[in-house]
Amino acid sequence: MRLPRLVRTTAFRLTLLFLALFAAAGGAFLAYIYLATAGEAARTADATVLSETAELEAIYHVGGFSALNQAVIERASRTRSFLYLLMTEGGAPVSGSIAASPMPPPAAGRAWASFRVTEIDPRGTQVRRAARGLEERLPGKELLFVGADVAEAQSYILRIVDALWGAAALVIVLGLAGGLFVSRDVSHTMQALTGVIDAARLGDLGARAKLRGTGDELDDLARGLNDMLQRLERSIAGLSHAGDAIAHDLRSPLTRLRARLEAALMDGAAGRGDPVVALRQALDEVDGVLRTFGTVLAIASLEAAAEAPDQTDFDPAALAADVAELYEPLCEEKALDFKADLVSGLCLRANREFVAQALANLLDNAVKYSPHGGAIALQVRRMASGEIELSVTDNGPGVPEAERERVTERFVRLESSRHQPGAGLGLALVAAVAQAHGGRLELTEGDRAGGPGPGLRAALVLPGAGR
Amino acid sequence: MRLLIVEDDAEAGEAMTRGLADAGHGCRVVPDGEAGLAAAREGGFDVMIVDRMTPRLDGVSMVQTLRREGDETPVLFLSALGEIAHRVEGLKAGGDDYLVKPYAFAELIARVEALARRRETGAVQTRLKVGELEMDLIGREVRRRGQEIELQPREFQLLEFLMRHAGQSVTRAMLLEKVWEYHFDPQTNVIDVHISRLRSKIDKGFDRPMLQTVRGAGYRLDA
Repeated sequence: MRLPRLVRTTAFRLTLLFLALFAAAGGAFLAYIYLATAGEAARTADATVLSETAELEAIYHVGGFSALNQAVIERASRTRSFLYLLMTEGGAPVSGSIAASPMPPPAAGRAWASFRVTEIDPRGTQVRRAARGLEERLPGKELLFVGADVAEAQSYILRIVDALWGAAALVIVLGLAGGLFVSRDVSHTMQALTGVIDAARLGDLGARAKLRGTGDELDDLARGLNDMLQRLERSIAGLSHAGDAIAHDLRSPLTRLRARLEAALMDGAAGRGDPVVALRQALDEVDGVLRTFGTVLAIASLEAAAEAPDQTDFDPAALAADVAELYEPLCEEKALDFKADLVSGLCLRANREFVAQALANLLDNAVKYSPHGGAIALQVRRMASGEIELSVTDNGPGVPEAERERVTERFVRLESSRHQPGAGLGLALVAAVAQAHGGRLELTEGDRAGGPGPGLRAALVLPGAGR
Repeated sequence: MRLLIVEDDAEAGEAMTRGLADAGHGCRVVPDGEAGLAAAREGGFDVMIVDRMTPRLDGVSMVQTLRREGDETPVLFLSALGEIAHRVEGLKAGGDDYLVKPYAFAELIARVEALARRRETGAVQTRLKVGELEMDLIGREVRRRGQEIELQPREFQLLEFLMRHAGQSVTRAMLLEKVWEYHFDPQTNVIDVHISRLRSKIDKGFDRPMLQTVRGAGYRLDA
């Protein structure tokens, strides 16, 4: 049998569990109250019976059996608080308020008994009430029984117990209702989340869970789910974009390669030309394709990784000086004025190799796009935010503001840079390195002085160590 | 030289054997890590070329086992393109060099020969001598025909590497890796500029150039 959906929810099951725990604790509490008060009532009854018996004994000691008989007759008619019975040695009743003793006579001394008395109440119904009694063999062998009603005290306890039962029933009803309400609320939210997950499973990554703004764990879950879907959507979009771009970018060199090989083959068959030259060109072409392919794979794996692998602590100024040294002869060859402003003593936690490559790409671009005799500035500093910035500024043509976002995408090249070598992957790699370290790539205007345009300042901003 | 090649792609193994035989080296190709282990234990190889991913026992585990057994034969790992984290892993496992597939044949030969050479010259040297060129590693001095040549620290390192591999082709990637310790591919050929600077210092004014450009491979320092 399938239970109704609501009843199968976790929230409802938790409610039931808590109700059961509550009921068990309540039961134990009731039992304790009952035992404690019932025992107390019995002890009180016993004490009154004892003191009454002591009074009658005193009368017996002073006035003998006849005085006791008188007292019993008198008290039996006067009070209904006690039950009396005076008997002969053999147990035959002499006087008192009951007809027979409810217990067997003790041989000597006294004996206690719990029993019930049957009474007709004013409405005519028969009521049996609990009682306690003490029977004593007097020094003259006669028997004296004194009893007291404990029903009064017991019925008080029973009323308390009844009230507690009522309260327990109320708690259970309210608890169940509350549990159902809470589970409905929770299961609504969960259903919404499940709906989003189902949509994603069926291929719709655009669905998002609604946040309720309560800041509770369900909201956290929804936020996490949304964030995950966002990343997934972006990386899938990136992948398919990369796939298109690779197909597009590899098609032309592969087409050229094929044509070249075919021509070489035909030339070879006709005994014309030098096949070695054709093969050499083909090899160069293949190397170019492989280089592009390798960079695209590196970018993709950086984008797919949550965090760059093999991170170590190092001084970014030392690294920048190292990379600058690699490019310094290149600057010299192009008569570029190279300035470095490196704040040392900073600590960066990152993958050294990737940061070096990113900086190399920025320097490479700067050298490539600076005019002959231009200026390049390399800077490493700590920003007010605590982040570490490695920047390269040139006085080349720059990148128009509208294009700055786009040039960090794979295979995007500005029309004006078509004549330059490169596949349009340099800045994309820098952006991927920045992202894999929780940083960013910022492109702004560079140095206008003496250049053909506004120049470009490319800054790799990375979180400082000790995050 | 005798080389052991652990490569599961038979065609690639055969191409390697042919190319290396042309360069004057004898090769034995085994298709998986276990066979590689057995062959290596027989000994007699100068360099091992090991694919990272081989059937039965992967190349990395194979080399780890050999190193534990005290086998110090130089190892060149081969790996598929785009596996950036693997280079570190391979070197940690006891590999001596690392090459990404597909590679230029000249690159493979240059690296294999460099590995074998490194093994021969195990002793610590304080002076290097190649023809007329002399390098004092302690005094940080370079002379050609007794005439002192001023070098920047990096130029000194570059020349040291070339002298240690004199007569051998060294590729641009090798120079970038061993002298600068970068493993990426700079888009512009910065190495060429550094080499031409070094060349102008050691060859200028002398009748015979020592630093040669090897087409399709890289550079070679000749005595």
